[in-house]
Amino acid sequence: MASIVIENLTKTFGTFTAIKQMNATFADGQVTCLLGPSGCGKTTLMRMIVGLEKPTSGRILFDDRDMANLPPRKRNVGMVFQYPVMYQTLSVEENLALPLEQDKSLSSAERARRIDEVLDVLDMRDKRKLFIGDLDAGSRQKVAVGRAVARRSDIVLFDEPTTNVEVHAKLLLIRAFKLVTQRLRQTIVYVTHDQTEAMTLADNVALMKDGKILQYDTPSALYETPATEFAGWFLGNPGMNFPPAELSGATVKTPLSSLPLTASATGLPKGDYRIGVRPEHVDVLVAPRPGSVPAVVRDMNVTIAGRFIVTLDVGGATVKAKTNGRPPVAVGAPAHIGIDPAHVSLYRDGVRVADVTGHAA
Amino acid sequence: MSETLRARLYHVVLWIVSLIFFSPVAWIILSSFKTRSDILATPPKLIFTPTLDNYVDLFVNNRGFLLQLGNSIILSVTAVVIAVFVSFLAAFCFSRFKPKGTDFLMFLLLSIRMLPGPAVILPVYLMYVAFGWKDNHLAMILFYAMFSIPFSVWILKGFLDGVSTRFDETGRVNGGSWLHIIFRVVLPQVKPGLIAAFIFNIIFVWNEFLFNFIIGGVSTQNIPYALAVGAYSDGGLNWTFISALTSIYILPPVLFIYFFQKYLLVGMTFGTVRGEV
Repeated sequence: MASIVIENLTKTFGTFTAIKQMNATFADGQVTCLLGPSGCGKTTLMRMIVGLEKPTSGRILFDDRDMANLPPRKRNVGMVFQYPVMYQTLSVEENLALPLEQDKSLSSAERARRIDEVLDVLDMRDKRKLFIGDLDAGSRQKVAVGRAVARRSDIVLFDEPTTNVEVHAKLLLIRAFKLVTQRLRQTIVYVTHDQTEAMTLADNVALMKDGKILQYDTPSALYETPATEFAGWFLGNPGMNFPPAELSGATVKTPLSSLPLTASATGLPKGDYRIGVRPEHVDVLVAPRPGSVPAVVRDMNVTIAGRFIVTLDVGGATVKAKTNGRPPVAVGAPAHIGIDPAHVSLYRDGVRVADVTGHAA
Repeated sequence: MSETLRARLYHVVLWIVSLIFFSPVAWIILSSFKTRSDILATPPKLIFTPTLDNYVDLFVNNRGFLLQLGNSIILSVTAVVIAVFVSFLAAFCFSRFKPKGTDFLMFLLLSIRMLPGPAVILPVYLMYVAFGWKDNHLAMILFYAMFSIPFSVWILKGFLDGVSTRFDETGRVNGGSWLHIIFRVVLPQVKPGLIAAFIFNIIFVWNEFLFNFIIGGVSTQNIPYALAVGAYSDGGLNWTFISALTSIYILPPVLFIYFFQKYLLVGMTFGTVRGEV
């Protein structure tokens, strides 16, 4: 078991900088998801951890062992790729056995025991004699997962393993993956651009953008209190609302609330202030309530689980609200919206600077 | 004109063209079973009594023949096996590690092959004499290998570029060494390329006359050498000898090409036409 320590890591390809001065620690025995849009450096970071790319500068350590100049096979890291590559002419169990055979310290009985265990966890006992060519993409990826964990390496990396798997198989794969990680307690880094996957699997999520980790937090903290506007916008569907706000002292004025709000900090410098509020914390009302403001419904769409996404115009700002069940309003008609101050944060120049504690007296 | 008639006409034309191209080969093979007077008879004799005398002459009375046949086989097979092995490793490096100036190096490599043999024969001859390598099997093998490597590197690089680096990467993170990746993971996937490179080069070495004549010698003489040297005797062309030796000489390449013809196509296109094999 080992934690992954990243120190001042930089990687450039020609003039393009994929990773910029990154510092992070991925804790021992935990599942860390690297989440971010395409091209943010997630995969590059993984490839440096496993040893397929050399850092331009900076260090990667497993606990306190520097990994510089160690080839992948000496690092004791397993990896599952986006496209599973397997020996088509070998059966499932032979494919699982191959990496184990590279480790000469294992007895053949131990190898067989590990293969059995992995097949059990993956629920693939009945498929052990099948050839890879006979399996669908999801099962192949399961075998790839099994192959990566069977070696009991300290660290296992997953590079968007579910991208090419169809939806149903994807759910099975994620379930198998959770079981495996719970059983084996390896340090796991999982790259994805799918926020649902990250939220489901991760102990901690590292949100990446432009070669940097913007926020390293638990999934719920990342969702509830995103540290940047980007995080608020990237997570959630739709993302967070960021209507403009004015700050004087600790009092926040915003078009979303007729009553001023109170910020948890005072003496903040000037800047572009906005409040951040999740669509599910914007209530769509027929009748006004204290603090609510009038709005016009511009659009309304149904989404999964009978929820509705309502787009409203409020005093020059556009706000999205998410409601359970059909909201009691019609498109084009006037309505009212109210926000819950407990779920509102204050942002300055794209960065979260304060909580909102309630309505000002 | 109906479609079937047109197709038939094409076939007839194709057959005629093929037969015209094949006729010299047919003539030499038929001649090898004729007597000297039958070969030169006018008009040409199509109906004749076959005789094996020419072959008996070659195998029993001609003492040089078995040495020449053996040399041809040993020189070509050994040189090409060495060349393909070296080329495979070189092509792997070019394809995977992409050293600076790969494109230029690849061009330089091919330009060696574009060079006509007579252009380099003098310096090579002087070098071989100075090293004392003349009439030496190993030296001849090295020379032919050197001449076969550029083209093989080109063919194999095309094939290796077609093998995704995902295979390498998966192998490496699963604990495989480079040797394991090169020979166990990648090599099986470029077998068609290896066979194509092998065939192309073996045909080159099999047909090679100039260098064998100049930097070879008595102990390394091959069949083209024997044909050139033995063609004249008794004040004329020795047609029975030529026809019998030629018939044996063309047999191995013909068999090779017959059994591996599908690889020739991919070889000619540097591995860019895939899915044919």
